[in-house]
Amino acid sequence: MKALIALLTLSMLFAVQSVHAHTASNGFLTLSVEGSPRLNGQIELAIRDLELAVGLDSDGDRKVTWGEVRAHERDIVGYVAGHLLIEGGRTAGTCQVRVGTPRVNERVDGNYLWLPLEVGCAHSPSALTIDYRIMEGIDPSHRGLLVANAWGTTQTGVLVPGAGRTVISLGRPTWTSALVQYFRVGVWHIWSGIDHLLFLLSLLLPAVLRRTDGRWEAAPLVRPAFINILKVVTAFTLAHSVTLSLAAFDVIHLPSRLTESVIAASIIVAALNNVFPKITAGRWRIAFAFGLLHGFGFASVLAEMGLPPGARLISLVAFNLGVEAGQLAVVLMVMPLAFCLRATRFYRTAVLNWGSSGIAALAVVWFVQRAAG
Amino acid sequence: MAGVGLANRRLDVALPLAQLYIREARSSGDLRFLGYAEATLGPWVGAMSHSPDALVLQATVLQSRHDFSAALSVLDRALTMRPGDAQALITSATVLRVLGRYRESLSACHALSVRADAAVVALCEQGVRGLTGDLPAAYETIRQISSQGMPPEERAWRDSELGEMAVRLGRDDEAEHWFKNAILFSPDDFYSRGAYADLLLREGRSREVLALLRGRESQEPLLLRIAIAQKALGDPNLATSRMRLRAAFAAEEQRGDGVHRREQSRFLLEVEEDPSAAVRVALSNWQVQKEVEDVLVLARSARAVGLPQAAAPALDFVRQWGLQDVRLTSVPEKRS
Repeated sequence: MKALIALLTLSMLFAVQSVHAHTASNGFLTLSVEGSPRLNGQIELAIRDLELAVGLDSDGDRKVTWGEVRAHERDIVGYVAGHLLIEGGRTAGTCQVRVGTPRVNERVDGNYLWLPLEVGCAHSPSALTIDYRIMEGIDPSHRGLLVANAWGTTQTGVLVPGAGRTVISLGRPTWTSALVQYFRVGVWHIWSGIDHLLFLLSLLLPAVLRRTDGRWEAAPLVRPAFINILKVVTAFTLAHSVTLSLAAFDVIHLPSRLTESVIAASIIVAALNNVFPKITAGRWRIAFAFGLLHGFGFASVLAEMGLPPGARLISLVAFNLGVEAGQLAVVLMVMPLAFCLRATRFYRTAVLNWGSSGIAALAVVWFVQRAAG
Repeated sequence: MAGVGLANRRLDVALPLAQLYIREARSSGDLRFLGYAEATLGPWVGAMSHSPDALVLQATVLQSRHDFSAALSVLDRALTMRPGDAQALITSATVLRVLGRYRESLSACHALSVRADAAVVALCEQGVRGLTGDLPAAYETIRQISSQGMPPEERAWRDSELGEMAVRLGRDDEAEHWFKNAILFSPDDFYSRGAYADLLLREGRSREVLALLRGRESQEPLLLRIAIAQKALGDPNLATSRMRLRAAFAAEEQRGDGVHRREQSRFLLEVEEDPSAAVRVALSNWQVQKEVEDVLVLARSARAVGLPQAAAPALDFVRQWGLQDVRLTSVPEKRS
């Protein structure tokens, strides 16, 4: 009878593996560290292996179907989270491993489950200590093949289940990798966080016009229009750079609810000033005053990501340069067009009045949302 | 796994279970079964082990994984516990032969004569003799061994040994006959199938290779032969085979596994046409194992990259032992 059990186990394995390449059992683990205390990654495990570890073949037909995988999703996720322990080195402490919804991926030796991982540590990790126990006690020849991406460099490692902890030192970002990465984040932030751009545009739309006798008219020359634009952009840049730096080095700290609300309010003010003009000369002063608050807004993005140890200043500068570059790109795209259209009724009515009203309305919604928290 | 819990407590369950896993691993080439065998044997092969049977099986696992020095030390422990153990001696002889330690391999075969039947001893001894300067005589001697009443695995061993000897003698017609027989008696034995495929490839019979290996794409060494045949035929399926082999070799490289280094080197040479990478892998393979195929892949890739002296250690070995193989004298020049 006991021998029969053994034989049955064996024949089941046959069926699960029948047609695929016979490599040794591997788990493919990828972790990416990019400044934030949260790591992203993924692990791929053979369905064959998970069947042994978790038991997926509920109907015992020696085939694992997608339905059976779905039915055991919680078991799979629980097994992986319980057998993959990650610590972030001295500074970051134990990290929480969250396993996402599996997908199927085909490899040389059959179907694998691809599971996204989200690893949350207290702080940005300086090293990864990985205790890998997947397939422990089932297949001692199983290995976790690790690829760790950190600061633009890639390290590989082989994790032996149950053989204790493997420490992967993440080192420090190189000067250039920090520069590239934080520059990119800066650009991305200005483009995706549309509120800063709308504020700036609200101040720039009238820059190609001038106000005489309570009416808008086209600025006659390129030069004064250009100087207007330059003043506004420079004032905004200087102001937010100052507060961004102060906040990034923890000199001043403002609650994000306050800064976010005031940023929304700044857009309302700037946009309404186009519809009901009060300040028509020296708009750069608005840009500067509110720019200080926008700087705190940028700082909250950096705070979430963290500045990498050993490259704090360069990363801050790169982030700021990214913000400026992103902003400049938009200005260079929009303003020549605005200049060409400035003499038309369309520009003054549709773009300036209606556009600014729309922006103001949107900002009111943001303000209410943010102030209400 | 259902069986493992019980196998942790009962040796009489662990041994046959591990044996089943090993047999499956060997016939199918599926390395995961070696892991299951290792898990089954785990509690029985520690420092306090009292079971030479468990140790011999453990050594077989290590040998199948090409961890030869570990296999030999486990076999030594088994032989200290039970001197003259036939299975331990056969396994030792095999490992030592793969390592090119022919004298020691031959003494293991001699020691076997007390416990094993004459045919097994003769196969063991003549196999080594055929590598050390006496190939024609060894071939004749094995041919004289009657296959009457031989168990199928022993019969397959004899026939594949004869097949390989015939290849090395340049008698491909005879070799083909022996390989076909070996496959007949042990259809899942991927080793004979691979050797036969090589013979067909040498004769430009690529279509027959695809027929012989159809449905066996799962076994890396056989998939390699399929890929080589597909390349010769301009078969569009080559892309898939190549991709699968690349991924498999990459994973093995990251693991530090040396199981398929010979195949990897051939893959680099014959499919990827990257002889300098092939030389590197062939040299590291030569550090691990020293069979004729290992000499051949090293000599061919060294020749292809224009550095024939890279193969000097292997060719010295060939001269030192008087290893005879017609393929060594006809290592082809790099194809243009």
